[in-house]
Amino acid sequence: MPVIATRGATVSYGGRAVVRGVDLAVEAGESVALMGANGSGKSTLVKAIVGLVPAAGGDIELFGTAQRRFRDWKRVGYVPQRTGAASGVPATAAEVVGQGRLAHRFLGMPARRGDREAVRRSLEEVGLAEHARCAVDTLSGGQQQRVLIARALATDPDVLIMDEPTVGVDAETQTALAEVVAARLDAGCAVLLVTHEIGPLTDRLDRAVVLADGRVVHDGEPPRPVGEHADPRHQHMHPHPSPDSVPEPDGTAPRLDFGRSSGTSEADLWGGE
Amino acid sequence: MNFDLSILQYEFMQRALISALVVGLCAPAVGVFLVQKRLALIGDGLGHIALTGVAIGFLTSTEPIWTTLATTVAAALVMELLRSHSKTSGDVALAMLFYGGIAGGVYLTGIASDKGVANLHSYLFGSLLTAGWAEVWTIVAGGTAVAVLMLLLRPWMSAICADEQYARVAGLPVAGLNLLLLITTAVTVSVSMRAVGLLLVSALLVIPVVTVQQFTGSFRATMFGAMGAGFVIAGAGVMASAVQDVPPGATIVLIGVAAFIVCAALASLVHRLRRTRRRHLPPEGEPLEVELPVGG
Repeated sequence: MPVIATRGATVSYGGRAVVRGVDLAVEAGESVALMGANGSGKSTLVKAIVGLVPAAGGDIELFGTAQRRFRDWKRVGYVPQRTGAASGVPATAAEVVGQGRLAHRFLGMPARRGDREAVRRSLEEVGLAEHARCAVDTLSGGQQQRVLIARALATDPDVLIMDEPTVGVDAETQTALAEVVAARLDAGCAVLLVTHEIGPLTDRLDRAVVLADGRVVHDGEPPRPVGEHADPRHQHMHPHPSPDSVPEPDGTAPRLDFGRSSGTSEADLWGGE
Repeated sequence: MNFDLSILQYEFMQRALISALVVGLCAPAVGVFLVQKRLALIGDGLGHIALTGVAIGFLTSTEPIWTTLATTVAAALVMELLRSHSKTSGDVALAMLFYGGIAGGVYLTGIASDKGVANLHSYLFGSLLTAGWAEVWTIVAGGTAVAVLMLLLRPWMSAICADEQYARVAGLPVAGLNLLLLITTAVTVSVSMRAVGLLLVSALLVIPVVTVQQFTGSFRATMFGAMGAGFVIAGAGVMASAVQDVPPGATIVLIGVAAFIVCAALASLVHRLRRTRRRHLPPEGEPLEVELPVGG
């Protein structure tokens, strides 16, 4: 029984079909990358799978149950497309990760030892154990992303669904992510990863599903990085035209993150690796 | 100004102080979630609607606190339905609350012009004199219920306010908790109107939170700190209002604003001093990662 199964899934925004008849199956313990250019519908498909956008047609099943009737959400660890972990009020990394345990707790009841243990372990897994009591808005963008990954791990998921966890994050976070995914796969957890680049994860992926214009155009072997992209020391630059000179990689300079504008092409989204 | 505690021997002062202290504790307990959800102005919207509730109280000769409670809770339900089930955006729904609430209040008090409209002022800006003991106990009961509920549900409320989409995927009862937050806000507005007044209620929801979060790093500390700050600010405001014979809403809010300015100045000073020894240095050996905005 697949943990995620879609048959002919169709999603439209305002009458325009963004995902058209996608068949996707992720088996227990399998790791699948969902790839494609911007606007190919991969994030929309994932949002439909977790129920954040309604499907206009087709079937979506989680653990063999129709998604509409699925209630066992604590089996799903979800990392939303990067928004930063900070909100309007300060919160510590441990408090944000603790949100991943709420589905295990009765409403209004205090956290039990198992909950606190899961939070501690998840932070340790992403290499932020010593930052547990730090306010998330004082952490770097990559560290915040790792906090969100730890939150998904804290629920002890049977499937980990991550929406572009590697966009614009530092090398340390990418490595941490690869290790986390490998460790969870070894423990039998399935992984569905929306991404532009598979980078350090290439060896651990069972399959890649590539979407173009809302349809599956490839389902099989993950694509291998070619040419200079394959060089592990290769640093991605942002090749789009710019009136300014191309910035030099510089470890001591401050990291600037302008976020991601919706109009950028796929090439713009190749973060540092 | 002399802070002569002998004014506390007057029963009206005891009543005013008790209600203000309860409100000072419970308003920031709700407000912290509103600030987190970036819905700080909802308190103002419900405060405006409450004016209609007060006018209905005048018109029907019932205690305004009950008609206000009913009106604000009903408005909260309509707000949430509009927000979740129609294309109306949150700020449009909020704008409708502002306009409709004030207009309804003025219209209805106009009709009820012979029935004690003179003390409308005391509902708008608060008053030390008006509440009887029965009303004070209603305020204590309502305020305590709100504070206890928010304290017990803190992690859940905080989760839906910080990242609603994640909370939905985590299987939390997002719709119910959103509704509960709006209803507790409505209750807070209704029990606060005697102490701070409807037009200034929102200040007591927001100011203690934004004041203490200059220094806090955790949600828990922010919530408890804000409740403490609200308690002190509301108490000090009522005392100052009695000494100077001005509406308590004004003194409470002015003290709050002053506390915020002092804390903001202190915090920026502290941050400047700390900047030399930052705790979280960016990971080393990392490329400068810039995404230059294309075409402006």
